[in-house]
Amino acid sequence: MDSNRSAILDVKQVSKEFPGVKALDSVDLTLKKGEVHALIGENGAGKSTLIKILAGVYTKDDGEILFDGLPTVIDSPADSLKLGIKVVFQELSLIRHMTIGENVFLESFPLKKNKTIDWDTLYKRTSEILESIGLDLNPKTKVYKLTVSQQQMVEIARALSHEAKVVIMDEPTSALTPNEIRFLFDVIRKLRDRGIGILYVTHKLEEVLEVCERVTVLRDGRRISSREVKETNSDMLVTDMVGRSIKTLFPRTHTGRGKVMLTVDHLFTGKKLRDVSFKVHAGEVVGIFGLMGAGRTELAKAMFGLDPVDGGTVTVDRQELKTGSTAHSTKLGIGYLTEDRKEEGLVLQMSVSQNITLPSLDEFSSFGYIRTKQEMERAKEFVDAFSIKTPSLRQKVMYLSGGNQQKVLLARWLMKKLKVIILDEPTRGIDVGAKAEIHRLIDQLASDGLAVVVMTSEMPELLGVSDHIIVMCGGRITGEFDKIDAKMENILEAAIGQREYSYAEHGSK
Amino acid sequence: MQNTVQNKKGNFFRRIFAINELGLLVSFIVIFIFFSAASPYFLTVRNISNIIGQVSLPLIAAVGLSIVLFSGEVDISIGSLQAFVALPLVTVMNATGSFALGALLALITGTVVGVINGLIVTRLKVNSLITTLGMYYSLRGAVYLITKKVAIAERSGKDLFFFIGNGKLFHFFPYPSILMFAILFAFMFIMKNTSYGRRIYAVGGNAEVARAIGINVEKMKFSAFVICSVLASISAILLASRLGSANHMAGQGFEFQVVAAVVLGGVSLSGGIGTLLGAFIGVLILGIIQNGLGMLNVLTMWQLAITGSIIILSVAIDEFKKRRV
Repeated sequence: MDSNRSAILDVKQVSKEFPGVKALDSVDLTLKKGEVHALIGENGAGKSTLIKILAGVYTKDDGEILFDGLPTVIDSPADSLKLGIKVVFQELSLIRHMTIGENVFLESFPLKKNKTIDWDTLYKRTSEILESIGLDLNPKTKVYKLTVSQQQMVEIARALSHEAKVVIMDEPTSALTPNEIRFLFDVIRKLRDRGIGILYVTHKLEEVLEVCERVTVLRDGRRISSREVKETNSDMLVTDMVGRSIKTLFPRTHTGRGKVMLTVDHLFTGKKLRDVSFKVHAGEVVGIFGLMGAGRTELAKAMFGLDPVDGGTVTVDRQELKTGSTAHSTKLGIGYLTEDRKEEGLVLQMSVSQNITLPSLDEFSSFGYIRTKQEMERAKEFVDAFSIKTPSLRQKVMYLSGGNQQKVLLARWLMKKLKVIILDEPTRGIDVGAKAEIHRLIDQLASDGLAVVVMTSEMPELLGVSDHIIVMCGGRITGEFDKIDAKMENILEAAIGQREYSYAEHGSK
Repeated sequence: MQNTVQNKKGNFFRRIFAINELGLLVSFIVIFIFFSAASPYFLTVRNISNIIGQVSLPLIAAVGLSIVLFSGEVDISIGSLQAFVALPLVTVMNATGSFALGALLALITGTVVGVINGLIVTRLKVNSLITTLGMYYSLRGAVYLITKKVAIAERSGKDLFFFIGNGKLFHFFPYPSILMFAILFAFMFIMKNTSYGRRIYAVGGNAEVARAIGINVEKMKFSAFVICSVLASISAILLASRLGSANHMAGQGFEFQVVAAVVLGGVSLSGGIGTLLGAFIGVLILGIIQNGLGMLNVLTMWQLAITGSIIILSVAIDEFKKRRV
């Protein structure tokens, strides 16, 4: 291929900081015309921040962006679109009850002389565009009738309708079947041949090797490498992604384990979980690792009884859980800390103390009457023990920082006296200092004799807090490691579905 | 840097506005003083007694409606319900001469309506605005059918029936207001100090969370609808006593008057936010505005327009406060 092609997009020394985190640190990236360029890295490496800057969702703090050789300012999504950058996000931005044609031309409908919409042209041009990417669909079909893959194609058609010069795809294959993926790759090659630059964001190495020409690796907000795909292999990329060494920031102190507290036996749910089995002992922290779409959250919800289960059982301390009933799971002593603190964890307009005591109200109420003084005392104990920073117990929880909100949720479940606690991404969006403290609390939970399950997509966290590691990919367990013989490379290989590891002894004791 | 400055500013505004009821109380006092100065007839023992009587009925219903709103739902069938439950009340009294029997049947009728509302919303998952809008039309239609648009007069001649709606304690406190205060204080206590109250707020504040910690969301919402209908039925009995009949026009627009007042009092339509004290002051404010404007001989159409503007303005201020967060 022609290496003298000019760059369409040149990102120079771009930085972006969020409170407490440097999401991007002087990142460089050059995308050429007609190039498929992979952007890879673990969750939290800065991929999404970078594409959101290019899409105009975030604005950069520092650095420069050249478009077609000229310096440009991208302050809003409109700016980005006007330049000819089209981002196909994982969450598709289509209007479900409109037709394909209406969606494709949503930003600028073709008009007749009298300023009314020229429907004939609209549907004719939509047909042409769909045909050009090899898609045989009636442009008058309503979008909600389409498969995810077809909807993605409509987004791509929309990009073509305003003659995009750069198309950014964010994990485009996460919801596709192998056949659909093959079709997507064909379309990507067609776009490439038209001279469109494609930035392909993914964490699946085989896709990088199959469809991309160059690959840039991000880690912790920094660019680690940019290479020709021909001159690299998956081992090199894995090393770049995880780095050579990760300091263990939060050593586990307690290692003794008691009897089996949680048993998950051949669990199936719809398409998301396939035959998941494992055991967790009292006093043990089991880390469950998986990349986006691996089924971690689905597993957590199924174990807690939030989602119905198609097959298999969950047993807590020898009592079988009635699946689909959260009332029963709380009674058996399972607590669940959701990934989405704001939507599913906290009652934002309630106070700190009320949020903590909500599931434990019976403990200090008689005939429904809450002994407020006792409630406050109990809440205060936990606020102090967890060093939750709040001006008062009556402060509304919405005004607390992310780290402190997470501690409130931990406190809530600890007051309830649990046997098993499931923590889904316990430190997502939390700054480094608070992270270490949450990890200390996780350690303490295990020392107190709870069986702890931590779902995480962050490698350092996984290696730091867990005694035993389970890796998931595509709804299955693809790797099991004891802490001692867990290597980052092996964990990542299992997570991307490249190789499977089993740890035969586990669970037999 | 800029961020932290903005945060501090937010903090400052937050503190001022945080005491929700205080702001309401201040508005109430200001309006009260205004009318006292503007009209010589406003601040008289007789008028104050009148106002207390006027607000008692909407207040009793407002307690129930607020609980439904706290739980994240809405009930606009209470006006039609007022007209509807007066039918068994007056018919039974006319037939048996017993007020107790009539009132009992009226309350049972109200409970049944609440149960139906609650079941439709929690079991069939029909949006509560639609459910109770349907109930609003159905009950009013039933009243028209049964009465043939002629009021059914109460003929048993029971003094008790007349007194509960019209009598006054010490020639000042209307009996309905005593009932109102009893209900208000009881439910203020329940909402604040019992796990039932706490759970209602949790359900309306974030149903997902409530479910995740083992609260039966549907049961809580169902109970709110039943409480709301029962309290609306009590207000209906008092209204029938005042009117001395079961009137097919009774309670028209009542639901919106109550919704407006509690929203003015800081109860959020989106659930989980507000207090009964706020709702109480909201009803009082609307009550004195209507009374005061009447005293000043402001035309009814202007009264309506002013009331409407105040409601929109106060909710706009509320939204403004939220954005300061």
